[in-house]
Amino acid sequence: MMRAHISRRRFALIAGTAGVTPLAVVGAEPLTAEAVVRRIQAELGGDWPATGPDGFKAGDPSTVVKGIATTAMATLDVLKQAVKANTNLVLTYEPTFYGRADGRTPAASGAGRGPAGFGADDPVVKAKREFTEKNGLVVFRLRDHWQARKENDMVSGLAGALGWSKYRVKSDDARYDIPPATAEETAAFIRSKLNLRGGLRAVGDRKATVRRVLLYPGAMTPAIMWQRYSEVDLIVAGEVREWENTHYAADIFAAGEKRALMTIGRVVSEDPGMRACAEWLKTVVKEVPATWIGAGDPYWRVNS
Amino acid sequence: MTAREVVELIKKNGGVPFNERSYRDTFKLGNPDSTVRGIATTMMATFAMLKRAQAAGLNMVVSHEDTFWNDRDDVKDLTENPLYKLKTEFVLKNDMIVWRDHDHMHSMKPDFIVVGELRSVGIKGGENATMSPRLYTIPETSLGEFAAQVKRLTGSRAFRCAGDPKARVSKILVGPGYATPRMTAEADVVIGGEQQEADGGFDNVEYVMDAASLGMAKGVIMLGHVVSEEPGMEDYANWMRTFIHDIPIQFVPAQEPYW
Repeated sequence: MMRAHISRRRFALIAGTAGVTPLAVVGAEPLTAEAVVRRIQAELGGDWPATGPDGFKAGDPSTVVKGIATTAMATLDVLKQAVKANTNLVLTYEPTFYGRADGRTPAASGAGRGPAGFGADDPVVKAKREFTEKNGLVVFRLRDHWQARKENDMVSGLAGALGWSKYRVKSDDARYDIPPATAEETAAFIRSKLNLRGGLRAVGDRKATVRRVLLYPGAMTPAIMWQRYSEVDLIVAGEVREWENTHYAADIFAAGEKRALMTIGRVVSEDPGMRACAEWLKTVVKEVPATWIGAGDPYWRVNS
Repeated sequence: MTAREVVELIKKNGGVPFNERSYRDTFKLGNPDSTVRGIATTMMATFAMLKRAQAAGLNMVVSHEDTFWNDRDDVKDLTENPLYKLKTEFVLKNDMIVWRDHDHMHSMKPDFIVVGELRSVGIKGGENATMSPRLYTIPETSLGEFAAQVKRLTGSRAFRCAGDPKARVSKILVGPGYATPRMTAEADVVIGGEQQEADGGFDNVEYVMDAASLGMAKGVIMLGHVVSEEPGMEDYANWMRTFIHDIPIQFVPAQEPYW
């Protein structure tokens, strides 16, 4: 059912040519999803193991590509927009089928963690597969290798979306020194800039003056939090575990330090980096258009 | 009575085998042989909570969650951390003891954490609930109305929902903390504390977004980890009073960390 990777043998043949434009597909040969992926793999380099998260998740890799859409998460709404935008290859940073296994096998049931996961006959899984088939869509997950790119567009993309690009302290670090504002004002600014609905959550000193900011798209581990929090006034992360990093930020606040931690949501934090991916694709795959489709903030709140 | 003796009584009265190899359910700080003057139960031994317990004259803290900001309470990378030193010194200076009861609590029948969570979100019939999620039926309402009611009842500030607020719902699955249950074919709404948003074992959020896109009634309500597990620690304090009579026992809330 799932094509986890392109032909290993063929990739091995081109891997040695990374850096040089490989297999210049000009003219005659139609550009297939597989050919696009081969070019991306050659440009990004590295090893692409079949067991890794990156790979084809839906559709036929031999499909001729009309246009490419990038997104943080290939939700059904994103796929519908991709079809409307006349694209048929979707590059997604996060899974398509509701978990790291991404449709390969039904998710196993953990003890006490609820009934077993979904099989192929699940109505949502089925409907999503049918939608991709009916519309000739191909979905490829591009996470590890995009994140590993030395330019790290996940960070600079998020900074760009916030209008903070020029405040970067060092080109190889995610620290930004922004014009000072209170943590509360900064939270409102972020909400508005990223079009957030209910996803932003903040802990720490709401009155703290925020100037030094660490941007951390995706999920931040406790070790990074412990290392970096004391250097900055604010960490903006995608998500953290509440009983670990949030707890640390709360304790730092209780100890009287004027800092704040804001989590904006994993997908929201990754959307801008995939916008940068679409821009990059335009330089790598010139035959077809590449466009970004934001997955958006999944969360809403109630006001009561 | 020493803290060690208190823990022995907890093990004896829990009614389930105590897993001595659990890395979670251990003493985290302080001298287990210190005399206990009062016991505080809490969802999480935050620094602010420890200060409140100390001010109330309670020197033993039974915490459901970790003390040192990682599930294993592994402190090897923290020995030079100023916050670690501050928190540790505060506890030791005040002859306090912190012990964690997590895995053991979730194996108890009932599991007070789940019982407390069900009560706090207004679902009836959960008095004997365990960690195995059960489907509860409520009078049919919209996801938005139900979410508003849950928010009112729990007082959660960092309350987040996904799915269509207009969806008609009545079948509810509830799990505590990070053990947010997987959505099932039968359930309309999953209530949990927190969950990795994507790329986990099962991503509820993307699933309910897609279900909403298909017009199917599915929703997720994320209470926050502390909010979801806090009420059960009051039940735990009440339970401890049934077998410890001569030491004051109080529930000291950790309180939701978010603005």
